[in-house]
Amino acid sequence: MHIRTLAIGLPLGLAAAAAALVLTPLAAFGQSGSQSGSHSGSGASKGVLKLVSSLPRTGSANAQTTTMVNGIRMAIEEVGGVIDGYEILYEDWDDASPQRANWDPQAEAQNANKAVRDKDIVGYIGTFNSGASKISMPILNDAGLVMVSPANTYPGLTKPGMGEKNEPKVYRKSGKINYFRVVPTDDLQGAVAAEWTKELGATKVFVLHDRELYGKGIADVFAKRSTDIGLSVVGYEGIDPKAANYKSLVTKIKSTGAELVYFGGTTQNNAGQIAKDLRAGGVDAPFMVPDGCFETAFIDAAGAENLNGKTYITFGGLPADKLTGKGAEFRENYIKKFGTEPEAYAVYGYEAARVLLDAIDRAKDKDRESIRQAVADTKNYLGTLGTWSFDENGDTTNKVMSGQTVVDGKFQFVKVLGQ
Amino acid sequence: MEKEIEYLLQLLVTGLSNGMIIALVAIGYTMVYGIIELINWAHGDLCMLGAFLALTLIGLLGIDSWTGPLGFAGLALLLVTSALFCGTLNLAIDAVAYRPLRRAPKLTLLVTAIGVSFVLVNVGLFWGGLPMDVFSGGVAASAPKAFPPLVPATPLIGAEEGVRITLRDVLIVAVTLPLMLALWWLVRCTKLGKAMRAVAQNPTAASLMGIDTDRVVGATFFIGGALGGFGSVVYALNNGTISFQLGYRVGMDAFVAAVIGGIGSLPGAVLGGLLIGIARSMSDGYLETRWTNTLVFALLIVILIFRPSGLLGLRMKEKV
Amino acid sequence: MTRERLRGTRRTRSAWGGGRLALVLLLAALLLPAANHLVGDFGLLDPVKAIFLYAILGLGLNVVMGFTGLLHLGIAAFMAIGVYAFAILTADIYPFQLGFWPAMFLTLPIGAAAGFLLGAPTLGLRGDYLAIVTLGFGEITQDVLKNLDTITNGTQGINPVPPPTLPWFEHGDQGWMLTWYEFQKDAPLPWYYLFLALLVIIVVLNRNLEHSRIGRAWMSVREDDLASKAMGIPPVRTKILAFATAAALAAFAGGLWASSLSSSGEPANYDFQVSILALCIVIVGGMGNITGVLIGAIAVSGANDIVLQKLFEWMQQNGWTSTGSVFGSPNNWKFLMFGLALILMMRFKPDGLVPARRRKGGAPADPGPAAESSSHEEAA
Repeated sequence: MHIRTLAIGLPLGLAAAAAALVLTPLAAFGQSGSQSGSHSGSGASKGVLKLVSSLPRTGSANAQTTTMVNGIRMAIEEVGGVIDGYEILYEDWDDASPQRANWDPQAEAQNANKAVRDKDIVGYIGTFNSGASKISMPILNDAGLVMVSPANTYPGLTKPGMGEKNEPKVYRKSGKINYFRVVPTDDLQGAVAAEWTKELGATKVFVLHDRELYGKGIADVFAKRSTDIGLSVVGYEGIDPKAANYKSLVTKIKSTGAELVYFGGTTQNNAGQIAKDLRAGGVDAPFMVPDGCFETAFIDAAGAENLNGKTYITFGGLPADKLTGKGAEFRENYIKKFGTEPEAYAVYGYEAARVLLDAIDRAKDKDRESIRQAVADTKNYLGTLGTWSFDENGDTTNKVMSGQTVVDGKFQFVKVLGQ
Repeated sequence: MEKEIEYLLQLLVTGLSNGMIIALVAIGYTMVYGIIELINWAHGDLCMLGAFLALTLIGLLGIDSWTGPLGFAGLALLLVTSALFCGTLNLAIDAVAYRPLRRAPKLTLLVTAIGVSFVLVNVGLFWGGLPMDVFSGGVAASAPKAFPPLVPATPLIGAEEGVRITLRDVLIVAVTLPLMLALWWLVRCTKLGKAMRAVAQNPTAASLMGIDTDRVVGATFFIGGALGGFGSVVYALNNGTISFQLGYRVGMDAFVAAVIGGIGSLPGAVLGGLLIGIARSMSDGYLETRWTNTLVFALLIVILIFRPSGLLGLRMKEKV
Repeated sequence: MTRERLRGTRRTRSAWGGGRLALVLLLAALLLPAANHLVGDFGLLDPVKAIFLYAILGLGLNVVMGFTGLLHLGIAAFMAIGVYAFAILTADIYPFQLGFWPAMFLTLPIGAAAGFLLGAPTLGLRGDYLAIVTLGFGEITQDVLKNLDTITNGTQGINPVPPPTLPWFEHGDQGWMLTWYEFQKDAPLPWYYLFLALLVIIVVLNRNLEHSRIGRAWMSVREDDLASKAMGIPPVRTKILAFATAAALAAFAGGLWASSLSSSGEPANYDFQVSILALCIVIVGGMGNITGVLIGAIAVSGANDIVLQKLFEWMQQNGWTSTGSVFGSPNNWKFLMFGLALILMMRFKPDGLVPARRRKGGAPADPGPAAESSSHEEAA
């Protein structure tokens, strides 16, 4: 019986160790295999440099992160997988787990530590959730590994005085800046959204948010800016993103006579349901959302008839079909490769990877410190989002914001905001 | 003053219509619990699959363009198919996953149900990735899916002013009420119902009396699942959005409803469902949305402190 | 299999098998870093460190579920309380700014107090009614942490939370001096061994509790509420004690968790899913058995963090994945594989991988008729 316990219990317990023992050497083979397989003959001789991304790949954010990973892969393929004689490998890591169905702080910490240990890794693309960056940023900072986020918009990660008192220096113990982002932060987007609201002629706004770092952050900025420019905020509510519907909330919104409803949050946090319930409940006020909803999935979920003509979406950058030069080229290639219009997230993912590759190319030594320095030195970079630089905080200087609406079930560019 | 009463009534209408759906799902919970004392964790996710099936049918048959009497037929078809599907699936899950564990500790069953729930969630994720128009070509598998508004939200009364009652609210009552009554009749007045009650009371004694326990348990799973199937279609019609993760909240609400009402009691599940629907609605309307969940669960705890077996649950004597 | 054999082996397994297995695990855990060093870096230290944390959480839950037989669906709430208590007591944006050790010790009474507050009015409830109260408490805690942002920083989380420290001798200007060594992010070994040591202490503590007067009282309440009352054991007070102990251990795990992340994380990180994970650890391992909980933590947490992860990494490196279709990406199979693993483990080891010595039916508080009849058979 004792043997039976071991026979059945231990395999599961030790499967872990066994799997690692068996798989690690295999994984090494796999690596060398793909090396010769996919990029043979491209003259990669000096060695291997690795990029990894740490994004929530399990659960509801998967739809957005898939387009990001598409963008990243495309960026690497475009340079032929080789930079300056070094072969560029890429791995797509998951910082979510099935037990959690959401990003998992332990998984993110493990990814960061794993990246630090693997000396071939010179760039870390991530994270999706700003909360996850709060975990991995200090770990990567200690190791001097550069990190470029295609999605974090929480201002406190980079901007002193915009978040907590001790932010962002608490994430930068080494004193060096290793964290960069290609997306404009919430403090910009929330503010231009409020200004746009005023232009649209609404005076009474109802502000909703999904009680997450991104959604609440941007809604707070929106509400504050609205008050500052003379709009009256007639309601401010954090919703439950898992609720079946928001009909009672809509009854409340209706009773306040709001002329515009703003929702700080994402598609996966039920933005579509809110739009539906607003219209079904007889609220015809326009609905405004940030870039977390700037994806076709939002229109699909809400139903075009509920959005057409009375929905406004802000976005940190120009939409893909308004891009010129490099951006237009990217859009063309993306459609050719994946058969769909690139979503906002795909552009961000692509841009994050491209700026890293560009820095690797410029770096004198292909070590972490020179590459970090090269990323920090990115100036007047001609990318898909326009020509921009990283400022002293690690933020993009690209402040072009665009506003779109929905016409016939498609996003339609309205104007450039905040200029 | 009038405005305020209207506001209250509107919240009540919303609460009741949401509560009816919760109640329908809660019955499935409470029936299974009453018979084999299993908290059927996968029940909410089963309902999720029912909604996905309905959406698939709409895509395949083009039901959203059917009008007039044909539209009604389409609705009926969706309801019945989803119910049969969920009932059969529940029966199959019982046969494969739970039946071999009938004699195992109760919590073993609970973990199995949690495992089944994970599997069903994954099936839902894959389902949403099918290359069909109703799933937006399956590009974004995990994104929420729009369920076409087969029943329009046109207000029957209160279009401009006053309390707004829509066709959807009526539909919910029209579907759920007869189902509940039919179920009550089934449990009270048929031979199968009698057998169910007997098995719930004492499976060993029931089997000694010649009742085929496995069949009765299977029937319970089928009926509970079928009600969940009805519930899922009504849920989807009412809300208009479905996602592979909707089972979590649907299941949680239904579970709480079943407990508030008294686990194992059918009228209790209905009462619990309505209570939760109304409590949520009131909290959204008069308090802040962000405290709604807290309020519902606080209500639950308070009710249980004063009525330890739920509102309509039998006060069971401790077994000696 | 004859009944005698069944009973005989059960006793043997608990007295020797469980203990021996625990020692084997300890030895493996001690040697893992060395193996890591000698044979090659498998990246196992981090996932195993997480397993230690989940094991402590599981051991806490085991006190309520395994020893006392109460179904508990809200252990994550107490973990969250531990996380936030630790963060508020240590972080420099709050006035307390205690060190690692005082704050860690304080998580124990704070957790226990929270457990007491919830348990005192509700522990008279039976079985699953109690379970749903714990579930509700879990939801309430998460909401409160999110909504009371003036105290808890809401969705921002609390940063930074200090790492552990240990007294250390250092050679300075005036010869050897006693200083405090602060754990560093880039040195994983001290973390690993500290967490292992704390886990071992908690295992020993649990073992002693199990065999103490209190432990016997818990088990008597589990086996028969009424009979133990007749023997002079107050069931409610005994249950409250179990509840508070579990809460204290969960809060302790929370404190360690926060320190290892150097952040409180977000309230949403301690949602219902964490409670379910802990529940699975306890039941899969074998309720009421300390070694079982350890094995459960390895099996449940390792199933994803190590086995699935390594498998998918390997698939990716071989180019066997695609992002084009929902089926092509292995991440989309994770729910399925995790769910199947749970179902299969329960199907083939219904009493858990390492069952406890004597479990009657396994029903919390009141065994159902089916369970009752099977226990009669055993007694016959």
